[in-house]
Amino acid sequence: MTDEQNLVKELVGMSTLEQTRAIRELTMSFEEKKNIRWIINGTKALAVVQKWLCQFFRRCSYTMRSARQALELWHGIMKEIGGKFGTSVLTYFLFLKWLLLFNIFSFVVNFSFITVPLLVYGPNITSNVSFRGLELLTGAGYFTHTVMYYGAYSNETLRHGVEYNLQLAYFFTIVVYMVLCGIALTFSMASSFKKNFVLVDPASTSAWQLLCSWDFSLTGEKTVTQRKNNLRESLSEKAQQKLLTLREKLKHSGIHLGSWLVSTALVAGCASSFSLQQEAETLLVPFVVSLMNLVIPLFFSLFNKFEHYSNNRSQIYSQVVRNVLLRMSILGVLCYHWMNEVSQRESFLCWESMVGQALYRLVIVDFLFLMLGSFFGEFLRNVIGTKLHRRLGPPEFDVARNVLDLIYAQTLAWIGLYFSPLLPSIQILKFFILFYLKKVSLTQNCQPPCRTGRAAQMQTIFIFLLFIPFYVGAISIVGYTAWSLNPSQNCGPFRGLDRSFSVVELWMAGLQTLPGSGWAVWIFENIIKSEIFYFLITLIILAITYVFYQLIQGRKMLIDLLKQRIVNEGKDKSFLLDKLQNLQKSRPKKDTKHGRVCYQTFSL
Amino acid sequence: MGSKQSIFTAQQLDAYQVGGTPPEDFLVLFYRYRDLAPQLVPLDYTKEPDVKLPYELIGSMPELKDNPFRQRIAEVFSEDGEGNMSLDDFLDMFSVLSEMAPRDLKAYYAFKIYDFNNDDFLCKSDLEKTLTKLTRGELGEDEVKMVCEKVMDEADLDNDGRLSLEDFQHMIVRAPDFLSTFHIRI
Repeated sequence: MTDEQNLVKELVGMSTLEQTRAIRELTMSFEEKKNIRWIINGTKALAVVQKWLCQFFRRCSYTMRSARQALELWHGIMKEIGGKFGTSVLTYFLFLKWLLLFNIFSFVVNFSFITVPLLVYGPNITSNVSFRGLELLTGAGYFTHTVMYYGAYSNETLRHGVEYNLQLAYFFTIVVYMVLCGIALTFSMASSFKKNFVLVDPASTSAWQLLCSWDFSLTGEKTVTQRKNNLRESLSEKAQQKLLTLREKLKHSGIHLGSWLVSTALVAGCASSFSLQQEAETLLVPFVVSLMNLVIPLFFSLFNKFEHYSNNRSQIYSQVVRNVLLRMSILGVLCYHWMNEVSQRESFLCWESMVGQALYRLVIVDFLFLMLGSFFGEFLRNVIGTKLHRRLGPPEFDVARNVLDLIYAQTLAWIGLYFSPLLPSIQILKFFILFYLKKVSLTQNCQPPCRTGRAAQMQTIFIFLLFIPFYVGAISIVGYTAWSLNPSQNCGPFRGLDRSFSVVELWMAGLQTLPGSGWAVWIFENIIKSEIFYFLITLIILAITYVFYQLIQGRKMLIDLLKQRIVNEGKDKSFLLDKLQNLQKSRPKKDTKHGRVCYQTFSL
Repeated sequence: MGSKQSIFTAQQLDAYQVGGTPPEDFLVLFYRYRDLAPQLVPLDYTKEPDVKLPYELIGSMPELKDNPFRQRIAEVFSEDGEGNMSLDDFLDMFSVLSEMAPRDLKAYYAFKIYDFNNDDFLCKSDLEKTLTKLTRGELGEDEVKMVCEKVMDEADLDNDGRLSLEDFQHMIVRAPDFLSTFHIRI
């Protein structure tokens, strides 16, 4: 009935008075006119309802957004820090908040799936040691037999109406959490990489500094003046940069090589000193570890003073790489010691709890040293800079070092998750206190940073660092423990089994008896347990990576060609404009109007 | 403190929300605008009064007072080009400078801010003025020329001696920090 629809459309557009008049003049019966009127009111009403619905949803989404912002943790503090110190310092606090969310999730998941079933329905754990304050520091003593550590968890299957297998729950909770972390990290790394690295052109630094780098959110005359001075220095430095002679280049490379050799030697020395340690259970080991992590980077920054870097970024990168190497090697040696020696020792009743306690101590002592580091690095340095050596001035907030401390702390928590499921609770407390501590220290002691660093790229590097050495290391440790090591015979959820992974094998064997679950067992036997599958997957992924690499090379060529084309178009434009102007000069006056129109077309 | 409904009509509120002002900042922005001159700005906007605050008041806001580009910002966002802003201009300014504004919009306005002679191109003199504002005028004349030449070399893609909006946007696309630096918090 398209005629009717067209009519209705026409009538809806008119005002009420015109509508009534138009309908009255229609050549239709009264019934049909009533019908038409009813349709018009319907469409009008529909339009009104539609509009109202749209507005309603829009208002709902706005209210939700404002509510979410109001509930967002530390929103006001972040604004204040960003305004006073700029975005690169803000990335530290954002990173801290992000890691805190990981830990909150982990704690909630572990507590609800592992601890609560044990506490509510499982056997009671009695300990004959009373609580002394020292336990908070050492993690041993009263805490040894509590749900804090692996040893207290039972391997039974609870039957209380619903079957709940504590063994499987423990295994899968830990594994699924680590896998989810990995996925979250991969996605954030990929999106950050795409946004901040792929399109960035490292060559255009002067233009970027002049036009894009000024931080409009800075307030305060002192801050602004300082930034202006720094920008001026940096620009005039760049303007006067001269090329280095071959001899100077060789000298610089030599110094670089020397510093790297000395740093690597220091790192190797620290790591090997641990293998000589016999007693790994005392408070001494965490103390020495944290002391090394605090002191050796100072040596690295000393080397930095002698080295000459072409730009600020490679300086930060080399420092970060050295620090990462130090921390990874110390952690690696400790883990090797735990995996190979502690797990084989017969004198421990429950070696996993021992490792859990060692990690707990590491976390606590690391926290104490972070506070000490803040005290010495920021507070004392500020006092020295403002009262004693006025020329030095207050310190800057060292974002790279602080973020690395955070990543290291999170790695400890990830490694310790398997051995001490409630360790994230300590981590949450630690990060919470650390946030406020750093915020107070920042506002009281530090000055805004001199160089406007590329905050977005630094953030990508940090996420990348979090993922590749640290997270992958943590998950390999957990994986190795679950796959290869013998669990203790007398304690924990995997007692009596050959290795932790057997719990899944047993479950699969049990599933075979259930009808309809044959596919799950088939998948497990032929895909997850077979090596051929992983080999094939790796080959396929390598092939796909190679194809994408070639695609990228092709795109790069295309970008260069297009850039060249823009340059050529510009040349064409200026050539034609010149020709036109020459023509205008030589032609008589009556043609100037025509010429002006052409000029307009060209300048579009 | 009146509620939103007593100061503005529902249609005005909707128009502002669609126009891009984040609603959670809306009342905050209105009261900041009013605080600059309580005797000039009425509490009842339903009749759409024609109130413009002079540039001196806008430039004295704590968020803008130390910004080297405050005059250009006010000029770009004001209707008359002199820096005298009505409430609409004020809201427009803070919505472009907020976190939510899309990159292209920010690039467009940043380009207008740096374009001192309003000819839709960033020529050498615009760059020199920008540089002077950013370095407190303490760079020598030769250094200024050298820096501006270098900037022009790097950013001018079609080699016509001045930066068009496309050149500027091309540079912004490759500077992911821009979204967070071209941002004023209120």
